[in-house]
Amino acid sequence: MIEIHNLTKTFGSFRAVDGLNLRVEAGEIFGFLGPNGAGKTTTVKILSGIMRPTSGRVLVAGHDVALEPLAAKRAMAYIPDEPFVYPKLTGWEFLRFIGDLYSVPQAEQRKRIPELLETFELSAQAGELLESYSHGMKQKLLIASVLLRRPKAVLFDEPTVGLDPKSIRRFKGLLADIAREGAAVFMCTHILDMAEKLCHTVGIIDRGRLVARGTVAEVKKLSVVAGRSLEDVFLELTE
Amino acid sequence: MFNVLAARKLHTFTNTLKALRGWKLAKNLMFAGVGLLMLAALYGGFWRLLNYLEGVQLIGPMLSWKLTSMVLLMTFSMVIVSSIIISMTTLYYSFDLKFLFSCPLDLRSIFMDKALETVFYSSWTLVLAILPFILALGRIKALGAGFYLAYGLLMVPLVMLAGAFGILFSMTVMYLFPSSKTRDITWLLGSVSVAFVYVMFRFSKPEKLLRPDSLEIVAQYIQYLQSPTAPYMPSWWVTKAMVAYSAGHWGAFAGSALVLCLAAAAVYSFIYFLAGPLYMRGFSGAQSSPRFKGGRENLPEQRLAVKWPSWRAPLTLYWKDRLMLTRDARYWSQIILIAALIAVYLFSIRQLPLDTPDLKSLVSFLNVAVAGFVVAAIGLRFTFPSISLEGNSYWLLKSAPVSTASVMREKLMVSLVPSVAIGLVLIAVSNHLLNADLFISVLSAFTITVASVVISVMGIGLGATFPDFNVENIHQLESSYGGFLYMATAMGYLSLLVAVEAWPVQMHFAERFGRAHAWDMRAVALCAAVFILLNFVALYVPWKIGLRSLERHEI
Repeated sequence: MIEIHNLTKTFGSFRAVDGLNLRVEAGEIFGFLGPNGAGKTTTVKILSGIMRPTSGRVLVAGHDVALEPLAAKRAMAYIPDEPFVYPKLTGWEFLRFIGDLYSVPQAEQRKRIPELLETFELSAQAGELLESYSHGMKQKLLIASVLLRRPKAVLFDEPTVGLDPKSIRRFKGLLADIAREGAAVFMCTHILDMAEKLCHTVGIIDRGRLVARGTVAEVKKLSVVAGRSLEDVFLELTE
Repeated sequence: MFNVLAARKLHTFTNTLKALRGWKLAKNLMFAGVGLLMLAALYGGFWRLLNYLEGVQLIGPMLSWKLTSMVLLMTFSMVIVSSIIISMTTLYYSFDLKFLFSCPLDLRSIFMDKALETVFYSSWTLVLAILPFILALGRIKALGAGFYLAYGLLMVPLVMLAGAFGILFSMTVMYLFPSSKTRDITWLLGSVSVAFVYVMFRFSKPEKLLRPDSLEIVAQYIQYLQSPTAPYMPSWWVTKAMVAYSAGHWGAFAGSALVLCLAAAAVYSFIYFLAGPLYMRGFSGAQSSPRFKGGRENLPEQRLAVKWPSWRAPLTLYWKDRLMLTRDARYWSQIILIAALIAVYLFSIRQLPLDTPDLKSLVSFLNVAVAGFVVAAIGLRFTFPSISLEGNSYWLLKSAPVSTASVMREKLMVSLVPSVAIGLVLIAVSNHLLNADLFISVLSAFTITVASVVISVMGIGLGATFPDFNVENIHQLESSYGGFLYMATAMGYLSLLVAVEAWPVQMHFAERFGRAHAWDMRAVALCAAVFILLNFVALYVPWKIGLRSLERHEI
């Protein structure tokens, strides 16, 4: 569902992503781990189509993001690490905006938007301008917008930043639901505990290169010492 | 602690300078060079004006000092209004304020840091703009380098005082009504005041002051020239000091300068003291958002999208922009200023001393360029920044299944109708006031329609060529390199447009003057072809460059 072939991205002489190859299948939750500046956000930005690769190919739902950007974008949903939204729209209007932009039928929007607002406990604030929303509320609204459009691939960059514990728990459940419905989930995260419990597979990127890939159990085996946690392995591989 | 805050600003400044290399440096140098050229042109204009005034018998020197006092008073007033508007952002909504408030810094240090920032941002352009006037004044009155040094030293307390009044106003208002709504209302009132002063100044026909013959009693005129312009205003103290300096009255100069400096020191001590009890309450209140309820109803564009599904994406972007424009107080204040600009424009057209119908028709034709310039100036505030004003939320469009061309088309859709309407109103009303003949009326209406469309497309195209999604306000975009290039391109285009049409217009006037066979149809056809080519290039090139640039832009 998500395919990355020999992806390279350079900024001047700096290689942010260096010959990356990856594949995330439908229904799979993939955790993309790495230290700060390793190339996670750059990769996810290229996948979402907001950044161009220097070389290599990226396919989402069978569509090359560079050659068929609109078809690829129609099939995916991307949530960045900073939930920037239009401050002068209300929560309700924002979901309508996303629904209209992604061609969600209006009847379906009318039915699902109140449900989603209810799920994320945003119904009371749905008529207020987004400039009054907290970071966490905006993040919840963006996650609700992902569920509204039922994408085939979902790209999350640090999705739980700003969420309260209750919302994080709900988010984990929703993530599993999204994958069960057949979407490929590509998630950049620093929370190794969440990646260990939630992701079917993980990949560790360091200085632009993929240094490990596999199920959590497979990655753990890469450690020189047996029985170590994912955190230990992560630190070992990225030091 | 204040020195730590000042050092960070100094580092930011030096780092910005150090980062200027290659194309960035060349671009900035080019920009600065053009700016200097404009200042030189202003200097030339002021020199001519002051030279003329100085040469008027008996009252010449009085006239130039009177004008100086008026210029300084206007600068002082404008800095106050700018500081009211800017301080609302710098003191209460700067992006670094939350960080500063979380640091172990005392409240007054933060306040003073932001107050000085306000003074700088609200005064630097105005100080720069009157510099050519002062240079010309010094030259006309044959004053040496010491005069300019004295002027520079006097300007510091003057703009500090003006800035302090604006800050004091904002701080008091935010203390009394601590809400983000206050900012919107203040912005609006600020714009209404600027518009009012601007319109009133023009409607008072200031040109009469330069024509003593228009006044009945000469003694009254001389008395007026000798009287102080707003005697209790610091701008008058600066004028007095400058007059004293030019006459070599050092005691009087020192007296006025001292009064000015003491006043600035007193006002800053006062606001420094006041910041303790007032600033925190205002800042805290500014963080709250006004209650707003609504937005669940189906919008007209959404109903249209059901009927025309292929128009769904542009209609969606359109309703989003429409709602955001109507809810953002910054745009309302811009609209007020534009209304004032149009009123003054039409008033000035009516006041033009034109005697013959032929002259009136000729001015009506040339007026197309001026009206086009007004449309371009309005586009600089609305059309050109429209893409950049997507701001940090641009990722939503960039990652959505909407093409860049579609986003640009929608932005054009928002700007096009108001631009064409303003252009047509300016031309139609001007033609009516000037009693332009039918040919000129039709030609100018047609030309302004085409020009407004082209200028709008140019605005979107160049706005897409130089996008900046990190700006905090429209003014940063207006004064950017892209904004300058947009205005320069629009003016170049308008000049060519008028030049292309000048030939047929000349034939029309030849016919009016009774010349036989005035029309050369081959020349007309040639002009029409050049007209089409010019407009095609002006439409196509900026749009294509903008599209390519925005498609490649990474966020």
